[in-house]
Amino acid sequence: MLTVPYVTSYLSEHFGDDAFRTLEGYRARGGYQAAKKALTEMSPEDVVELVKTAGLQGRGGAGFSTGLKWSFMPKETDKPKYLACNADESEPGSFKDRILLERGPHQMLEGILIAAWATGAEKTFVYVRGEYAYPARCLQQAIDEAEAAGILGANVMGTGFRHDVVLMRGAGAYICGEETGLLESLEGKKGQPRKKPPFPAQYGAFGMPTTVNNVETFCHVPHILTRGADWFRGFGTEKSPGTTIFGVSGHVVRPGLYELPLGTRLDEIVFEHAGGVPDGRKVKGVIPGGMSMPVLPASMLDVPMANESLRERKTMLGTGGIMVMDETTCMVRAACVITYFFRDESCGQCTQCREGTGWMNRIVERIERGAGTHEDLEVLLDVCGKMEGQTICAFADAAAWPVQGLLRHFREDFEEHVRRQKCPFPDSFEL
Amino acid sequence: MPNVSIDGVEYEVAEGRTILQAIDDLGLLMNGVDIPHYCWHPKLSIDGSCRLCQVEVEGFPKLQIACNTPVKDGMVVRTQTESVQRAREGVMELLLVNHPLDCPICDQAGECKLQDYAFEYGLSHARTEEPRRALKKRYDIGPTILLDQERCILCRRCVRFCREVPETSELAVFARGDRSTIDVHPGVELDNDYSMNVADICPVGALTTKDFRFKVRVWFLDDVPGVCTGCSNGCNIHLGVASNKVYRYVPRRNDEVNETWICDEGRLSYKAIGAPDRLDASELRHADGRVETVRRDQAITLAAAKLRSLIATQGAGALAGIASAHATNEDLFTFRRLLDALGIESRACPVPTGRSDALLIKAEKAANAAGARALGFGDPAPVLDRLRGGGLEGAIVLGHDLLGPLGPDVSRLGSLDTVILIDTHHSELERVADVVFPARHAAEKLGTLTNHAGRVQRVQPALEPPFEAYAEGEILTRLGEALALPGFEADWDPRAVSKRMAQEVRAFAGCDVDSVGDSGKPMPGGSA
Repeated sequence: MLTVPYVTSYLSEHFGDDAFRTLEGYRARGGYQAAKKALTEMSPEDVVELVKTAGLQGRGGAGFSTGLKWSFMPKETDKPKYLACNADESEPGSFKDRILLERGPHQMLEGILIAAWATGAEKTFVYVRGEYAYPARCLQQAIDEAEAAGILGANVMGTGFRHDVVLMRGAGAYICGEETGLLESLEGKKGQPRKKPPFPAQYGAFGMPTTVNNVETFCHVPHILTRGADWFRGFGTEKSPGTTIFGVSGHVVRPGLYELPLGTRLDEIVFEHAGGVPDGRKVKGVIPGGMSMPVLPASMLDVPMANESLRERKTMLGTGGIMVMDETTCMVRAACVITYFFRDESCGQCTQCREGTGWMNRIVERIERGAGTHEDLEVLLDVCGKMEGQTICAFADAAAWPVQGLLRHFREDFEEHVRRQKCPFPDSFEL
Repeated sequence: MPNVSIDGVEYEVAEGRTILQAIDDLGLLMNGVDIPHYCWHPKLSIDGSCRLCQVEVEGFPKLQIACNTPVKDGMVVRTQTESVQRAREGVMELLLVNHPLDCPICDQAGECKLQDYAFEYGLSHARTEEPRRALKKRYDIGPTILLDQERCILCRRCVRFCREVPETSELAVFARGDRSTIDVHPGVELDNDYSMNVADICPVGALTTKDFRFKVRVWFLDDVPGVCTGCSNGCNIHLGVASNKVYRYVPRRNDEVNETWICDEGRLSYKAIGAPDRLDASELRHADGRVETVRRDQAITLAAAKLRSLIATQGAGALAGIASAHATNEDLFTFRRLLDALGIESRACPVPTGRSDALLIKAEKAANAAGARALGFGDPAPVLDRLRGGGLEGAIVLGHDLLGPLGPDVSRLGSLDTVILIDTHHSELERVADVVFPARHAAEKLGTLTNHAGRVQRVQPALEPPFEAYAEGEILTRLGEALALPGFEADWDPRAVSKRMAQEVRAFAGCDVDSVGDSGKPMPGGSA
């Protein structure tokens, strides 16, 4: 069982140390000093400003400026304000939040406290993926410890600030990782994204102003408070500072987690850190940021893993879940897996997503069966175009992008299926 | 008030509205500004899921859904650009990916928004090869509605309707993605007082009423504007008429009265029009109890003779005029004039009552109770007391609502010297009446009805009764003529009567049948 990242930096520095999971151990390593500093020495505006200056970007996939997001919370309001921590981690290929919950729950709670102070939130709902039974237990233990020690609750560390953390378990839908789908599910409703406006900062959990941040995003915050924006900017690129925890899976020698600065080259991660493809086979393609991000071919792996550079190659960092596919892989089968997943997980609200995901899946499965036509490839791209950018949430984009990516870089695989009316990759993984 | 430019035309719109709402407020939606839409409905919460109403809004890189995008001063909206057309084409193609395309055997054909928009905005061919979804068809989900899940486009209007209007929440979307289906919750039926509205708001043939299904193709129907006569709310309707027969009532939008809804009971009240118990001929009851069917004029002559002799012997004080709250204001105004001319002062209008709710259903189960009161036909108790206690020898009775408050005392009525009855349907009252005249239903005549809030609304002939029947006002006019009363010589002209009423009766000032238009007008003094 994988418990500690292969490469560590500030986030996962103590993850090999079991004591770090306890309040005592966390405090012994300087834990909760950052929160204390924020609550006693800094105004909420100072904290927001510091996080903005540090340039922290959300680590849940969209890469939006965290400080800016916090600043959207209304200042003058009679309503209680909430935070929601997105621990749904539903993107296939992502498994970083899990270790952050298991190995450093107090680190995240401290980040939450600082964010709560910055936004004036009185409560945080942590929405944990249903399958994450053990991480949820680890987190609940930490919440209980923190409450007992007066770090959470009516009088946080004696400052008079109130903050409660409530853990909620999901029931297993990909879309509950979308922030408004998460809020709906949190409220006990069917997990379906909400139309915007209103945005969560105006109308969030239970109708109250809410900011939703990813687990890892919160985890960076105490470090920024303790060591400053300049220190944080010492990691990563100018536009994408800090480290992130990359999850590498698929055809590599050492699948696992790697905490590395943003901007680390993809080929470095795949070949040096993860040890490359086993048995001397070659890489065929790499999905850089979770399944919804377009694939990159072997020729494009010299790309720094940061949004600004990945965008130039028509893909994105996403959640940093890197999936490596070797030369035996049939990309049409990959498309079958991807489209099946999105067909299964579409919430079904928006026409384009509900019908488009199913249609794409039927087409690629037909191509894989050997019954495809060249026209099908045009229809596929056309359906992608009809889905992209036209729906309530980004799910339809997430479903269309990987298909577009596969067709952009591996069109030959599809055409070979059509020409030979069968799958030309006998050694590929089986469906 | 923000100014918004839509397709190059500047409009002043209300604050806090979305683009689609603002266009609807202006009365321009699909009536000058064409933004096709499925999930949006003016009286339901915004869903934003069908994505058909996407438009270009200057300053936004992507198309925006008109239903949920708030208007802002200076906003520039374009609804007919190439990218908008492409998006509509895309939505239409995707909506049809799983639709069975069974229009020839679908009862919605002809009033189906999927048909209309596919024709207007869609592609003319299908690019799908795989079989379409196989789901439940002709699925009985309650006493009034059948569901065809295959035809459903998941706009969820019905789900929101049940949640937001009757607040009964019987329906929901089950499963997700392209397995999503509309269904009733387990163990629940779609059964509420407003259930059939889901068929009206369903843009496709997924929800149809058991009552109307396969009775007639909608393109044979004429939609005649009218008013439901089931209760005093006066919900605005279209009467669907073909071959001189009413096949259905569907609600007609009137934001002041019924928004876009109607209760099931009211909707089905059209059946009273063609009911087998309609009074279809004038009748005389002889002393031996024998009933003779006669021509109207013969009945008029006899009724006039009886009235004349009774008044001559007992005086007008021995008579009473009982109005019907189902008759039009024009009928009742004529009745009032007749009673005035004859000197009959004892007047009343019994109003049947029943269940009511906070939405549309009113306790008074007649369409014109307020109009009757405004014309001086009030509480029937004093007249009933006189009937029970003696001192009454004759009555002119419209309708049979007297039966309720009279109860077993109906026999008292039989002992009167003269009872003249003008009614639409057979009833026990016929057995005690000397002369009976068949009356027209509100769907068969021109006139006005005053609803509970004092709103005067127009009804007009949607069909001709297939037998001899007349408006109450016409029979009363002929009776007045036979009695040689002044001012009853002219032919029955409800339009002229209406104008005269609006001049003579202050409560109806400005509310004649032409002035009230199709959506009605409040009485100047408010509710009576």
